[in-house]
Amino acid sequence: MIKKFIKPVLIFIPLALLQLTIVPFISYQNISPDLLIILIVYYTLLNGRLFGTVLGFILGIIFDLVSGGLLGSTAFAYALSAFITGYFYNEKKIHSNLNSLIFSLLVLLAASIEIFLISVLTLTRTNLSIVYLIFNGGVIPGFYTAFLSLFLLVFKPKKRMAE
Amino acid sequence: MFSIIKRFIYEFKEYIVLAVLLTISLLLLSLNEQSAIRGVKRISFGSFAFITSTFDNLITSEKTADAELRRRNAELMLQLNKFRRFKSENEKLKSLLSFRDTTGYPFESTRVISRLLSVSEGNLILNSGRKDSVTKGMPVINDKGLIGIITDVTKNFSLVRLMLNSSFKVSVEDQRSGVDGILVWNGRELFMKNVPTTYDLEVGDRVITSDYSTIVPPAIPVGLITKKQTTVTGMLSDIVVTPFVDFSSIEYVFVVKIVPSKQVDSLELNLFRND
Repeated sequence: MIKKFIKPVLIFIPLALLQLTIVPFISYQNISPDLLIILIVYYTLLNGRLFGTVLGFILGIIFDLVSGGLLGSTAFAYALSAFITGYFYNEKKIHSNLNSLIFSLLVLLAASIEIFLISVLTLTRTNLSIVYLIFNGGVIPGFYTAFLSLFLLVFKPKKRMAE
Repeated sequence: MFSIIKRFIYEFKEYIVLAVLLTISLLLLSLNEQSAIRGVKRISFGSFAFITSTFDNLITSEKTADAELRRRNAELMLQLNKFRRFKSENEKLKSLLSFRDTTGYPFESTRVISRLLSVSEGNLILNSGRKDSVTKGMPVINDKGLIGIITDVTKNFSLVRLMLNSSFKVSVEDQRSGVDGILVWNGRELFMKNVPTTYDLEVGDRVITSDYSTIVPPAIPVGLITKKQTTVTGMLSDIVVTPFVDFSSIEYVFVVKIVPSKQVDSLELNLFRND
């Protein structure tokens, strides 16, 4: 079980690097995609809800630590969104879930929840409406992330995704 | 009994794990300001910043002449702002006796190696730290204006809390009328909250840091007033300020090497120490 975590944690390093250096340049009005949630959704659909939840928590803690963000916020959001994504885990449908648009739709769902949760947890004072927060602090960055996950579907190594 | 508990745990293990992990996360959230947690965070972002810095070096290259021009730009920005302020105060026949010189601060020119930009949180990690005499509390600017403030420092790197961060607030003033207010980030825009509608604040006015600020020196440009939103009662307004700095494309910045006051009641607020 523990060995299973090594690979995603290793993939996390270059992704976190991209998230903190390149992604801000493609953000618009603080709306930016979250590359790490794509990784978490992928491994949740591959290994199940329990694995995804724990992985989300671990990667969230590491990301909070290395990014200088509020410790616990990303861990909370990743763990919960991986848990919700885990409802769509099906041992018999791993291949189809990872190789179709379902994957991007689940990335959309998970990213929207995760980014919204982070916004809610880290905003200490705001007069923004909940609708604004759901859309600008959740759904729109979620769409952006889901759009990027399409590249994974298009350019993925066929054999590995089908594992 | 034991077997029932065992079966319960087995049956609901995913929910139990989730509950435990979420509880730990919330606990950590509440402990963020503890010195032990801050210490762990400092070590972590400092270590990862080495990787980020190496990666950043590969994708960017800075020419010495460019760096010098940027520094000169920032100095001129502060100087220009000083003259604008002179003009404004002269017009109002104010005494300039208490006017503080905001130019001539020592700058530390540095590069941004990592950015965390979200609706609620904005942080940067800079390629300068204790070895460059950067300390916690120093303001960070570029040639456009104020960016944020140093909140944590390691030997080689420092963490900046941007103005676009809901836990950042700064005392500002309207450069034309001298009206003061507190600028905060609400997740969408920078605004001065609950300003009486009778105050002389107009759309298009320049907003600068105020003399009352204990964390940043006065007269650093912040932004332009772009909207006045009057509340339902009509007594108060929220003043929306659009920052001069484009936060999504910051690459090079300057740390202003002044040490902010810890004693608010100290009249000079210690803002002019150049050491």
